[in-house]
Amino acid sequence: MAQKAERPKPYLVPEYCKGCGRCVGVCTKGCITFSEEINHQTGIAPVKLDLEKCNSCGLCIDACPEPFSLLAVESGETVDSKNPAKLFLDKKNDAIKPIAIANQEIPMPKTEPMVIKGNYAAAIGAMIAGCRHMYGYPITPSTEGAELMAKFLPKMNGWYLQAVSEVATINHMYGTAGAGLPTMTFTSSPGFSLMVEGISYMVGAELPSVIVNVMRGGPGLGNIAPEQSDIKFACRGLGHGNTHAICLTPSTPQEVLDLTIEAFELAFKYRNPVIILLDGYLGQMTGKVNLPTHLNKPGIPEWAVYGDRAHRGNLINSIDLAEPDLERRNEKICAKYATMKAHARADNFMTDDAEILLVACNTPARISKGAVQNLREAGVKAGLFRPITVWPFPVEQLKTLLPKTKQIVVVEASAGQLEDELRLELNKAGVEKLPEIRHIRRMGGNLPQQADVVAYVKSIAK
Amino acid sequence: MSTAFYNKFERHSNGVGLKGHSTHYCAGCGHGIVHKYLSEAISELGIQDDTVMVSPVGCSVFAYYYFDTGNTQAAHGRAPAVAIGHKLANPKAMVISYQGDGDLASIGLAETIAVAQLGSPLTVIFINNAIYGMTGGQMAPTTLMGQTTSTSPDGRKQINGQPIKMAEQIAQLDGPIYVERVALFSPAERNKARKAIKKALQLQKEGRGYAFVEVLAECPTHLKITPDKSEKWVKENMVPIFPLGVKKDVDVEPWWDIKEPIFDSEKILGLIGGTTEKTERFCKEFPSHIHPADISLKLAGSGGDGAQTAAILVTTAGINEGFDGTHIPAYGPESRGGTSYADVHIAKTEVLNPASPLPHILIAYNAPSLAKFGSSVTNNGFILFDNSVAKEFEPADSSIKVIGVPFAEIAADLGKMVVKNIVSLGALAAATNIFPRETFLATIKQALKDKASLMPLNEQAFDRGYKAAKDCMQTKGY
Repeated sequence: MAQKAERPKPYLVPEYCKGCGRCVGVCTKGCITFSEEINHQTGIAPVKLDLEKCNSCGLCIDACPEPFSLLAVESGETVDSKNPAKLFLDKKNDAIKPIAIANQEIPMPKTEPMVIKGNYAAAIGAMIAGCRHMYGYPITPSTEGAELMAKFLPKMNGWYLQAVSEVATINHMYGTAGAGLPTMTFTSSPGFSLMVEGISYMVGAELPSVIVNVMRGGPGLGNIAPEQSDIKFACRGLGHGNTHAICLTPSTPQEVLDLTIEAFELAFKYRNPVIILLDGYLGQMTGKVNLPTHLNKPGIPEWAVYGDRAHRGNLINSIDLAEPDLERRNEKICAKYATMKAHARADNFMTDDAEILLVACNTPARISKGAVQNLREAGVKAGLFRPITVWPFPVEQLKTLLPKTKQIVVVEASAGQLEDELRLELNKAGVEKLPEIRHIRRMGGNLPQQADVVAYVKSIAK
Repeated sequence: MSTAFYNKFERHSNGVGLKGHSTHYCAGCGHGIVHKYLSEAISELGIQDDTVMVSPVGCSVFAYYYFDTGNTQAAHGRAPAVAIGHKLANPKAMVISYQGDGDLASIGLAETIAVAQLGSPLTVIFINNAIYGMTGGQMAPTTLMGQTTSTSPDGRKQINGQPIKMAEQIAQLDGPIYVERVALFSPAERNKARKAIKKALQLQKEGRGYAFVEVLAECPTHLKITPDKSEKWVKENMVPIFPLGVKKDVDVEPWWDIKEPIFDSEKILGLIGGTTEKTERFCKEFPSHIHPADISLKLAGSGGDGAQTAAILVTTAGINEGFDGTHIPAYGPESRGGTSYADVHIAKTEVLNPASPLPHILIAYNAPSLAKFGSSVTNNGFILFDNSVAKEFEPADSSIKVIGVPFAEIAADLGKMVVKNIVSLGALAAATNIFPRETFLATIKQALKDKASLMPLNEQAFDRGYKAAKDCMQTKGY
């Protein structure tokens, strides 16, 4: 008897009992019975305990699905059901306030210019930005980036994990981003389509990540040749909900490297994914690349769920069942979008006196640059406005060029996706007097050709 | 009894009223019992600070209301993918993927199987209650044959397939080390469930591997029976289809010993080939005799001719000389065999458009390439071609110099066909004076890296090409 008395006995907190009765059947002594007496706080009839015959077997406590309904009370302990501190017995709340571990800048020696292709430049940029977790599913024409990461990351005790799909990829990233570390992937248009569910979750849960989308011909399986097929998608369609992400559109391997490094900074600054849009041509393009002066050793942000004592109290989620909560989350995210607008960026080439303004990004921008050179040689006052971010669109920069611009020619490898962004943003900016907007568009893996751009612009130049 | 539950469930309706201390689960639901065992195991193993609990979509979406651990809520079916993302981010973290049958056995099948097969230490708790709870009693992948649900109103039929047996599926994979199916319908089964959950965590803690515990749980609400009857239902109807017991338990020594990532500039530069060594420059000025600002080249042949390597060498040579340079390989399936061509630009300051539709210089390694691109060469340009495989070419304009050099023959004579492209670079240097010989040789040396012993052969190939081009030009009176 003395031994039995040392084992805990059940103590019922009737407010937390849902009356399921899973404890009733296990009690061999018949101590627990169903009751019809409704608890006025819960509207439920909790079970009844009569512990006279209780032998402290504890089976009822094991059977109870509620954490605080049937409590185990050690011999000699008393329970004060009105005092939560005593009610929850030995459970201590010892979680500490989350702390941030800062990033560290590590100097890099000055190196000679390197000769690398666009896809490699993105991979190297990511490594310099401190990314040691790359997840991906092979897809042409993005694979070289993943291959380089697969080769180098293990040598830096990092990870290249080949996922079972792009869906898994973006969710591996969600986990690593949730732990507060830089993570990225390489993909191409069809793979990007598969990732948008996860991108929406990342936006909702406010997680940083970098997605390099080496765009190819679509729709459907399309082909593996360069197209700017996902501009609309990346700017306006990142999954369900009010989603946006900064979309960077480099046009040289150097810019690919620089913008990849910056993409990680922006992703962490805003706790939001950042999309880098390349085209297949740029991904394959080899060029001169200078390395930066520092590399980043990432810390752990305050908000992360790293799996350590300092971050135990944190939660990564995007669910708010209560409408006011979800509206607040959306308002917060939208406020971030508004501040992201400050990062809208563009590059001008011979625009000072340009009457015909070409607008293009990625490789079509280089083709257009070549065309502008030819046109100037032929006496046509042409210039190039090159968005480096397509979202946010650099509409303010464009507006400053409009007074001299007689005609805009959007040069792109899509059915007008960049032009749509341009028109929408000019409209939103309240620009009433628009120059004539024309375009040169190629699709299906064909890029606009310099000679065609030159001929067309000459034909419209007055 | 010590647990890893919060003292107060602040996230459950902001902890207001009774919800602050009771779960969102229906009366008699198996989730609560499994939560309790999991919470006890976390506490007993002393891993509460290290634990990351991944909640799925399904009734247990709100597991993060209760566990006083790190919490991440995942998209439907993706919990194991998210879990492995956490585990690789912090290999010391104890990561639990807690999932229901819709999440694990339907929408997330690919992730479930793939992550199990990875075998990394991870704990997956699978709640199988044969029905969709959160969406309101629809058919699950584990719904029994004949079982009535809101989407199998006449009972599950053959056309719906049969209930999927996940524990057996997972056990046949090589990755997992421990797989058990347990139940909650009696004190004896609950005891086994508690032990299995703790063991699955223990194996992760010791760095031994992936563990999977399937729990047959009760959903009285959607079975539309009382909790005690639902226990009986699980015992009588589920257990014959989903036999209980250990499906796999292999002894694995602890192996999960992951080192800290390296952030070291020397290491990165070593890997990517970045060098602080100044490359020597040999050009006095930009080769503006070809074009004042931007020289465009096309190198064309078939796979194996080395056109791409030669193109990279020309680009690198230009960049080493302080100019800008670009190279674009032929894009598409033909880059994996068949025709192979490359566009190269060398610019004084900046390459504007890297494409070479109208090159100043063409190097053609075979007859089709010469025929295809020969007429695109601009006036005052150069055509270099392999006259051991292609016949003489008539240029579109007499200002274009056409120089035939037996690239292949010279390479064969040297005993190494792979130096054919180096022969062509010698010819390029001789014909165009684009860069001095030293520039090319330094670039080739740089590219050969540790294969420096091949340098004499390459030098020979270059010089033979150079001489042959000079001879041809002399003959032609260029």
